[in-house]
Amino acid sequence: MMSVNNCFSRLYFFIVFSIFTFSAFTQSIMVTGTVMDELKEGMPGVTIKIEGNPTGTTTDLDGKYTISINDKNNILIFSFIGYKNQAIQVNDQTKINVQLKLSSESLDEVVVIGYGKTTVKELTGATVQVKGESIERLNIPRMDQALQGQVSGVTINTNSGSPGGSSSIRIRGLSTFGDNDPLILVDGVVYDSEGLNSLNPGDIESINVLKDATAGIYGVRAANGVIIIETKKGRIGAKPKFEVGSYVGVQQTTNSLDLLNAAEYALIKNEMFIRGTGSPIFNNTDLKVGTNWQDSIFQSAPIESFNFGVTGGSKKSSYSIGGNYFSQDGIVGGDKSSFDRYNARVNLVNSLTDKLTLSSVFLFTHEERKTLPENGLGSVLYNTINAFPTRDIRTQDGRYEYLLEVNDIINPVAQIENTHNNALVNKLVGKQEFEYKINKNLSFTNRLSYNYSSVDNKSFSPLAWYGIGKYANSAINENLDPRMVFQGFQLSDPDNLVYDSILVEQGASVYEQRATYLDLNFESYLNYSKTIDDHNIKATLGTTVFSRRGDVLNGTAFNIPNNSIDFADISASLTSGQINLNNTGSYEFEERLLSNFLRAEYGFKYKYIFSAILRRDGSSKFGPNNRFGYFPSFSGAWIASDESFFNSKAITFFKVRTSYGISGNDQIANFAYRALLNGEGDYVFNNSIVQGVAIGTPSNPDLKWETTRQFNIGIDLQLSNIIDISANYFVKNTNDLLFQPAVSSLIGSYGPGGYPPYVNAGDVSNKGVELELAYATDPKNKVGMNVNLNFTYIDNEVKSTPEGVDFLPGAGFGVGGNTATRFEVGFPIGYFIGYQTDGVFQNQEEIDNATVIQPGAQVGDLRFVDVDGDGVINFSNNSDKTNLGSPIPKFMIGSVLGFNVFGVDISTNLYAALGHKIVRNYERQQPYANQLSYVLDRWTVDNPSNDNPRVTTTATRNGVFSDYFVENGSYLRVRNVQIGYVLPKNICDKFGTDYIRFYMSANNLFTITNYMGYDPDIGAAQGALSNGIDYGFYPQARTIMGGVNIKF
Amino acid sequence: MKRVFKIFSVFLLTSFLSLGCSKFLDLEPPYTQDAENFFQNESDYLRALTGAYDLLQGVYVSFWIGEIASDNTIAGGESVTDTEGLHQIDNMTHGAVNNELRSLMRYNYCGIARCNFLLEPKDNEIDFPSKSVIFAEAKFLRAFYYFELVKVFGDIPLIIDKRLGGQEVLETVRTPSAEVYAQIEKDLNEAVSVLSYKSESSHSGIQGRVDKGAALSLLGKVYLYQQKWNLSSQTLDVVINSGNYTLGSDYSTLFQEANENNSETVFDVEFSSGQGGDYGCLICLEGNVTVGFQGIRSYDGPVYGDGNSYNLPTQDLYDFFEYQDSRREATCLNIDEFIANNSPGTTYTQGGGGHTGFYNNKYIKSALEMGNLGDNDLTSGVNYRVIRYADVLLMAAEASNENGDTSNAIQYLNEVRNRVNLFQYEIDVTQPPWNNFSDSQNSIRDIIHRERRSELSCEGHRFFDLVRTGKAASEIDGFVVGKHELFPIPQDEIDLAGGNWSQNPGY
Repeated sequence: MMSVNNCFSRLYFFIVFSIFTFSAFTQSIMVTGTVMDELKEGMPGVTIKIEGNPTGTTTDLDGKYTISINDKNNILIFSFIGYKNQAIQVNDQTKINVQLKLSSESLDEVVVIGYGKTTVKELTGATVQVKGESIERLNIPRMDQALQGQVSGVTINTNSGSPGGSSSIRIRGLSTFGDNDPLILVDGVVYDSEGLNSLNPGDIESINVLKDATAGIYGVRAANGVIIIETKKGRIGAKPKFEVGSYVGVQQTTNSLDLLNAAEYALIKNEMFIRGTGSPIFNNTDLKVGTNWQDSIFQSAPIESFNFGVTGGSKKSSYSIGGNYFSQDGIVGGDKSSFDRYNARVNLVNSLTDKLTLSSVFLFTHEERKTLPENGLGSVLYNTINAFPTRDIRTQDGRYEYLLEVNDIINPVAQIENTHNNALVNKLVGKQEFEYKINKNLSFTNRLSYNYSSVDNKSFSPLAWYGIGKYANSAINENLDPRMVFQGFQLSDPDNLVYDSILVEQGASVYEQRATYLDLNFESYLNYSKTIDDHNIKATLGTTVFSRRGDVLNGTAFNIPNNSIDFADISASLTSGQINLNNTGSYEFEERLLSNFLRAEYGFKYKYIFSAILRRDGSSKFGPNNRFGYFPSFSGAWIASDESFFNSKAITFFKVRTSYGISGNDQIANFAYRALLNGEGDYVFNNSIVQGVAIGTPSNPDLKWETTRQFNIGIDLQLSNIIDISANYFVKNTNDLLFQPAVSSLIGSYGPGGYPPYVNAGDVSNKGVELELAYATDPKNKVGMNVNLNFTYIDNEVKSTPEGVDFLPGAGFGVGGNTATRFEVGFPIGYFIGYQTDGVFQNQEEIDNATVIQPGAQVGDLRFVDVDGDGVINFSNNSDKTNLGSPIPKFMIGSVLGFNVFGVDISTNLYAALGHKIVRNYERQQPYANQLSYVLDRWTVDNPSNDNPRVTTTATRNGVFSDYFVENGSYLRVRNVQIGYVLPKNICDKFGTDYIRFYMSANNLFTITNYMGYDPDIGAAQGALSNGIDYGFYPQARTIMGGVNIKF
Repeated sequence: MKRVFKIFSVFLLTSFLSLGCSKFLDLEPPYTQDAENFFQNESDYLRALTGAYDLLQGVYVSFWIGEIASDNTIAGGESVTDTEGLHQIDNMTHGAVNNELRSLMRYNYCGIARCNFLLEPKDNEIDFPSKSVIFAEAKFLRAFYYFELVKVFGDIPLIIDKRLGGQEVLETVRTPSAEVYAQIEKDLNEAVSVLSYKSESSHSGIQGRVDKGAALSLLGKVYLYQQKWNLSSQTLDVVINSGNYTLGSDYSTLFQEANENNSETVFDVEFSSGQGGDYGCLICLEGNVTVGFQGIRSYDGPVYGDGNSYNLPTQDLYDFFEYQDSRREATCLNIDEFIANNSPGTTYTQGGGGHTGFYNNKYIKSALEMGNLGDNDLTSGVNYRVIRYADVLLMAAEASNENGDTSNAIQYLNEVRNRVNLFQYEIDVTQPPWNNFSDSQNSIRDIIHRERRSELSCEGHRFFDLVRTGKAASEIDGFVVGKHELFPIPQDEIDLAGGNWSQNPGY
């Protein structure tokens, strides 16, 4: 290893010294002047060059410059990123003042790439920029959701629609088993995707998404792509600009399920029980509508946001300050499922000396979130869907009705009342960055960034009773008497293991957890840039040191007085003395990265651009055998439209780009390469639980980096300066997947607290095509429109599985062992596998004469397809199971369409995901559970349905996982419709403002889909293989809101 | 320029630090121990032994299979897809994809791996006085886990005193069951030679740690399963003659928590009600899951607690008992009769997985357990009686009879019958039908087998007894001779081991 280190340090020396050898200047006639911006403020940092000459200068802090020329005919070119270039012939002038105009040309837009910036024109990678404005305008409460449909190649699915919930963000498909999250950087600070909703959308200046191998400068985790979020910054010398915005809205569910009402329920259940047990369960089926449980839990909920910002600058510094208050209640459970967020942001840039600049970012977030049980058996919505419409919410004497007939279904209204889950997050993210301009070609940046968060959770479990036999009971009867439990303790003789036990009252309990996390990242890099004649050279060389630590402490206290939330704190616990039930737990972790990187870029006449990156990452996740990984990537671009032979009027810009590179992933548990005694080895001796030890996860000292090799080819096209088109084709192969596939039981990892060892095994390929199209008229026009269309096609395929494993089973279906998804060669990750149906057996002859024997089949049962052709439907092995579709959409289309006519603006934002399937898994397959109304079309003698099987309580195969439970998941959603009005300038002036806009806006106005569940936009809350399985998903709300934005 | 150089030197320094200092990445896991070089003192061995005991609690799977596969009980539960593997086994339609069989294999091999972790040769082996006992107990446990596997699957890979890596798994073969049995016998004989009886002062006296009687009894049972009648008889006689065991006086209360670890207890798996749990990981529980699972569905009344209606005795079993055999009621709870006689008006529901009218009265949730920690279906402290003295007597009777010592056999048999006040068999070998030795031996064999069902039903023995005695085909619907004696090796396990193992015949 040491020799490699030496190589690296020599490389440093070589580059550092070669940088110093460049330098040149000449002298002659002097020209001076001031460069100003659109507000006539002096602009620092503007580049001034003499046409055809590589030398140049830049303006000082006041926008003043001095340049020497040799010839009166020289033309000076003034350029600044984000502004239009200006060319002025000197002639006899010695003083030239210039006012630069903001560029509306997309090609000049600044794009943030790894450890540097460039323009769209010079980009070699597949990078997409989204303006903060278009995020902010959507008024979608969560950053992640706001990004959905904005960028091709980026799939965003909502893991939960509850306030403060998270999304899964996938750049160019699912590529690994574990963590598929992209690397997210906010002003260069590593941010976790779960925490994205703590950002204030109003603070965002721009979002840049690095999709291809050029993200490799970030090494670790760049395999999943990189999202670079920049917050708003001020400008030196700019007058303060204030912005105030606010909106208020109301949210509702977009959808409710078509469930059986009481009369229908009684009819179906009677038929079911008569066929099963011979006797009906309702003597009277004239039960009218009964209880609509959905109505009892869904409600209208408020949402509101207040935003404030100011940006500006003095001669030596600039600032941008923002604040936000956001509050949202849930459409399920109201304030029991709510999210409140306070943001404060300060961005400061200070020129400490002519050459030294200090940039500071502080982002503070305070969040309060309340949650209900979601997404699965036992969640509020699951209970709601399955609750019996024949029961009232409350009995006549006022207590909540018990839903006794199904063990694990409880009254959802009572459940909401008894749920108290609060989380409190304080998060401080920031950086201090020193940039030192050594000379005009070379700058040196050092920055320390940090991401500190403290997360406090508190859940209170009052004594509750949902009826006999319910798992959720915390009391032992309806009088809410507490449990009494034996608590063992060791008598005070340490030599003899003598135990005794006493009865202790358990009572209501409170669980509290405090977790603190701290990321520290020190980065140091040199940026070099020089132009010699037609040659542009850029280089970046740097090192980063990253550490993440976490510290978690939790405790449970029992016997909370009065069964009351008012005493829900560990300190209030009434358990006494030495022997109490209260318990505590804790854990800590730390992980580190040590990386070096190098990027070299060469451009010829800005026409041919090549870039090469090498990154070396060391991760504490791996053992000494494979700790370091080397990740190279290469990219190139050719701007064909700059060639002299290219003289199309229609095509004003044409670029071809390509890239290839390797990036790494280390996202696995810490110390997975070692066998730790963190299994559970408890046994009972002398009637007390004694803690032993056991290996948790067996070791794998050869564990190494998971690598992704990605190829990209793309074109960027501009038609008549107004239509931008961008297209990419990519192939992304991820190899040596890091995960814990099932292993042979012989290894012994399937005991308590045991897990299979991590291995590098399996390959996944993602191929795809991305298209983006943008058209906009000049925003200053009185009448204008803008269109933004993006299209993504992704083909995901598993290329290999671990040795000896045909497939890896994924998520389950129903209760008790049906596996619905797999990771298998030749199919997408997590594709659905089960039996294929072929209608319903209509009569006994059909069964008797069938060429395929279906064991146990009766008239009215689903007929399954004999996939393996052996003449029998096999239910005790996998031979007749087949591909039932993929949860991954084949196509995704996003569109933004906007018009503005004399101050009125109208915009729509549509998103469609097509060609995928969703599994309906929120129905309890249980005789008494309520069902969707499609069951009314069940097979009977009088209703020879060929779609829905008969209903019965006896054993049938109709409940095995088959395409009967798989639905088309395609949808088109109107994500946002907005109409706004900008007051005319003269009226604004009267109020002393620059800009006032009023708007009405609707999110998730409607969705076109055949999917029967609440919301087809479902993520993978339980890992990559649970994609597309609907466990009773908390839907996103439809929100109608009104708001105002003011600038002054 | 001076400043430039200053900054450069800082930069270079940091670069050097980061490059040279790869020690930055050498982190040690906080507050936990590494599996390598773990065994430093007696306490480490003891803790690892406790970890090896832990998997005994996974015995519930073969306990269920032992009953549900037989004519004694049906699977029951909420629906026919609720623990579907048990329903398939109940109907003899099980194949190589079966979660319960897979769990059984996983738990027992995990137990074996934990024993091997303790027993494997170590670089710095330390010595201390109690080490031989610890090793003897680990060998007992390993023998127990292997016996569970071999009686269910037949030939199974034998791994002794080492931990396997992924590559080594691919090289494993199914070891012939005779060799597995030989290793079981070896381990048990070694355990027997070291361990002492619980009554002896040399035993730790800790309830739950196995003793010489447990090792001898298991060894006798292992011999019996191989029809090594002589060895079985000799071994079990040692237990009987040791004077350490007597039958409990009241059969009907034998399975209550209060009567645990009594004079009849030879080998129990210990459970505790002191820790809550959930359905997510049944093997992680410290409570006995069978008790809650076998409870009466949605029952709200005295004596019993509500549960999940698993493992329900059949009418066939209920009708099997002799006239006035009190063990019938102690084994099969006739729920409707019980409610009618004791608490009219009490309700319960029938599970969709099947209903026979009977519940398993030996391991059944009681009203006392309703107040347990959540989920109280999973937190019963009732021990599972793996080997009790009555079983030892009946096994010894069977072995004696096969050895030709019919009078000894009858004596043991009568001892078991005497406890429940049933008539005593008397044999006069000069009188018919007992004067023909062969007939007599056959009759007594039948009597003992019948007695085993009466005495030991709903305790997980029945299926294995039927297979062992060749009676499975005549008693179990759907049982195919030459196939169902063994269960299929889980297909996934065959694949994960490289696909080289053969499947059991018929699957």
